[in-house]
Amino acid sequence: MEVKINTQDSVTTAQLIGRLDTPASQEISGDFDNLMQYAAGTVILDCTELEYISSSGLRLFLSLRKAAASKGGKVIVKAINKDIRSVFMMTGFLNLFEIQD
Amino acid sequence: MKQEKQKSLATKISLWIVLFAGLIFISALGVFFNESRLAVQKEAIDHADQVLDNTVQRVDNIMDEVKVATDNTDWLITRHLNGPDSMFVYSRRILQNNPNLNGCSISFEPHYFESKGMYFSAYSFNDNGNIITTQEGNDHYQYFYMDWYQMPKLLDRPCWTEPFMDVNPDDITSPEMIISYCKPIKDDNGQFIGTISVDLSLSWLSNTIEQVKPYPNSYSIMIGKGGTFYVHPDTTKLFYQTIFTQTLLEPDTAITSLGHSMQAGEEGVREINVHGVDCYVFYKPLTDTGCSVGLVCPVSEVFSGYYRLINTVIGTFIVGLLLMLMVFSSIISKQLEPLEELAYQAEEIASGHFDDELQESGHNDEIGRLNNSFRNMQQSIVRQMEELKQTNEQKGRIEGELKIASDIQMSMLPKIFPPFPERDDIDVFGQLTPAKEVGGDLFDFFIRDEKLFFCIGDVSGKGVPASLYMVVTKALFRNISAHESSPGRIITSLNNVMAQDNDSNMFVTMFVGVLDLPTGRLHYCNAGHDAPLLIGNIGAGFLPVDSNLPVGAMPEWDFKQQETLIDPDTSILLYTDGLTEAENISHDQFGMDRITDLAHRLQKERTFIPTAIIGAMTEAVHVFVGEADQSDDLTMLAIQYTKHHQDITFQRTLTLINDLKRVPRLNTFIDEVCEAVGFDMATTMQINLAIEEAVVNVMNYAYPAGTKGDITIEAKSNGTEVMFVISDTGTPFDPTAKAEVDITLSAEDRSIGGLGIHLIRQIMDHINYERSDGHNVLTLTKQINK
Repeated sequence: MEVKINTQDSVTTAQLIGRLDTPASQEISGDFDNLMQYAAGTVILDCTELEYISSSGLRLFLSLRKAAASKGGKVIVKAINKDIRSVFMMTGFLNLFEIQD
Repeated sequence: MKQEKQKSLATKISLWIVLFAGLIFISALGVFFNESRLAVQKEAIDHADQVLDNTVQRVDNIMDEVKVATDNTDWLITRHLNGPDSMFVYSRRILQNNPNLNGCSISFEPHYFESKGMYFSAYSFNDNGNIITTQEGNDHYQYFYMDWYQMPKLLDRPCWTEPFMDVNPDDITSPEMIISYCKPIKDDNGQFIGTISVDLSLSWLSNTIEQVKPYPNSYSIMIGKGGTFYVHPDTTKLFYQTIFTQTLLEPDTAITSLGHSMQAGEEGVREINVHGVDCYVFYKPLTDTGCSVGLVCPVSEVFSGYYRLINTVIGTFIVGLLLMLMVFSSIISKQLEPLEELAYQAEEIASGHFDDELQESGHNDEIGRLNNSFRNMQQSIVRQMEELKQTNEQKGRIEGELKIASDIQMSMLPKIFPPFPERDDIDVFGQLTPAKEVGGDLFDFFIRDEKLFFCIGDVSGKGVPASLYMVVTKALFRNISAHESSPGRIITSLNNVMAQDNDSNMFVTMFVGVLDLPTGRLHYCNAGHDAPLLIGNIGAGFLPVDSNLPVGAMPEWDFKQQETLIDPDTSILLYTDGLTEAENISHDQFGMDRITDLAHRLQKERTFIPTAIIGAMTEAVHVFVGEADQSDDLTMLAIQYTKHHQDITFQRTLTLINDLKRVPRLNTFIDEVCEAVGFDMATTMQINLAIEEAVVNVMNYAYPAGTKGDITIEAKSNGTEVMFVISDTGTPFDPTAKAEVDITLSAEDRSIGGLGIHLIRQIMDHINYERSDGHNVLTLTKQINK
């Protein structure tokens, strides 16, 4: 699992690559802690290459969303695949995040 | 109608009064009339008698005058026999002295006076005031042969002749009926020498008699010795008929007797019918003459005054009675007017117009009091009606509300049977028959995570209070068992809530069971309820239960949970005491024995289907109870468990240690299983997600931090579904008991946790947790859609 963070002006883009299963969530939790710093602005989670997400991964997303909400920023989830979209649907995350194709 | 009734009452009373008055008057008048009739009769008889006496007296007086006149002349005649011509003087003098006399003759024997020849009779008569005196007697009228001459000579004493017609052919006067007083004339030697005869006109006599008329139509009669009529208003009878003539044609003993009595010279009074008229005949003899005078008075005239009096009295009486009737009728009508008004009002009220205001009566009499009493009664009725109306409205409202409450209550109970038509391992049937509109019995069941949660309960008491408690109990049961799978804890939680602030000290006996459908393991907790019956292949009997305490009786009570394994094809029958204590009319209870007998019979008949069991039980109760009223709610719940006979076609097992780093190994295993049973990629990914969540959960929480433990994942399939059985030996932990996350909440409100179990429920078709033999066993099932 790999996370590439790229900040341009107030927009921070995090490219999530690989399977975000439970161990991977632990692995990248530091990266998400970093992303919290940009939560006042716009954080784009680019999921183009995200293959799988577990509930621990969803928890990371939710934590970031909560931080953005408290700081007045926003989180955009970009290009989730069909399977992940169904997981988002099951968990109500489609309503919590701004989804971009 | 009212008018008539009222009228008739007044008329009736008046009639009665008048009738009584009439009777009294009639009695009095009867006596009065009788007495007065007697008095009048006596008076009339006396009067007539007197009149007759007077008449006879007058006639007698006249006759006496005649006698006296004759006697006074008599001695002159005998003194002056030597001067025959003086006889004319004497004869004339008698008439002069007695104007009432008709004539007078002084007659002598033939040749008594030589000078006068054979005949000498000095006769004077009264011709309308002129007294004419002649000498009578010649060859044509030989007077000495006449009765009036012969009678005194033969009798040798003075006498009265019978009336006779004065038929002297030489007489210049018209003949007329006369009666004569004749007296023999004797010489000094006592030799009869002639007769002095004084005539009295019979018409004059009869006028005198006829003048006697005490009543307008009364008349007098006079008969001679032979009964001949000498005086009679019917002149044709005079001289030619006797009093007996009439009786020859029509025999009449009364008249005959009267005639004889009169002939005999008696006096008296008789009541005789004369030519159809009732008459009194008063009669009396005339002195010396042998005649009898009768006074005939019609009874009607005698009593005419009396009858007039009667008529007047009766007329007055009738008029008086009529007046009385009218006056009484009018007075009573007047007096009854308030009663009529009251009757009218009463009818108004009777016809439903209760609100009509009744006038208060100013009268102080009975009618006034009646009126006022009636008025009070009417006001009271109006009040009572109003109250009754309100009560009825209230009752209607309460009944309506009770009906709604009943509907609500019944709708809270499971009512779709069979409830799980898609399942072949479980069948349930329940039935509640409340004794009142709303009851305190409850039952409920549902399947969550491959477990059948069921309960039956009976709230103490009946009716609305019990129903309220029942609703709370059922709601709490659902609420608590939504995330709690242990019957002991479910009941404990329930008890803690219910026992709090339980001011009304109500309680519920309750049985809660949780049947693990994959395994047939039954966890149950009993709170003071009757033990359920088990009816299965191997027999029928009661499930052993701890009684504990009823729910709500005591807070913080630790309810003991029990468990058993239910054999496949076994049915569990739960019931309330409405079954055991159902009473017939003799107050015998249905009782436990009848229930077990029936259970054994059903067992022998291999009747395990819930509807059949409850149907048989219901019928038995109805037959037993008969006509008696249902005294308590009757509730039964039957559960038939039939275990899957799984035909495993695929099975694979993976054991991991509790290290998150082993998750990729798990993913690989799942991928392999999914591929083997033919899931597509998307489903495979989802199953991966679900199983990973479950396993990571165990890795994180089953074993204390830092300790190693195994997690076994067994995947098996029968071709239609895949079961993942995840078991560990860690601390008991039921992930299914977690409350569902609310995915509709906003980011701020949502908790970080709970997503895992949520995803598992979303993805898998069934989830089931069992703590069995020291293992946490979580079974996740996914249907294979080919």
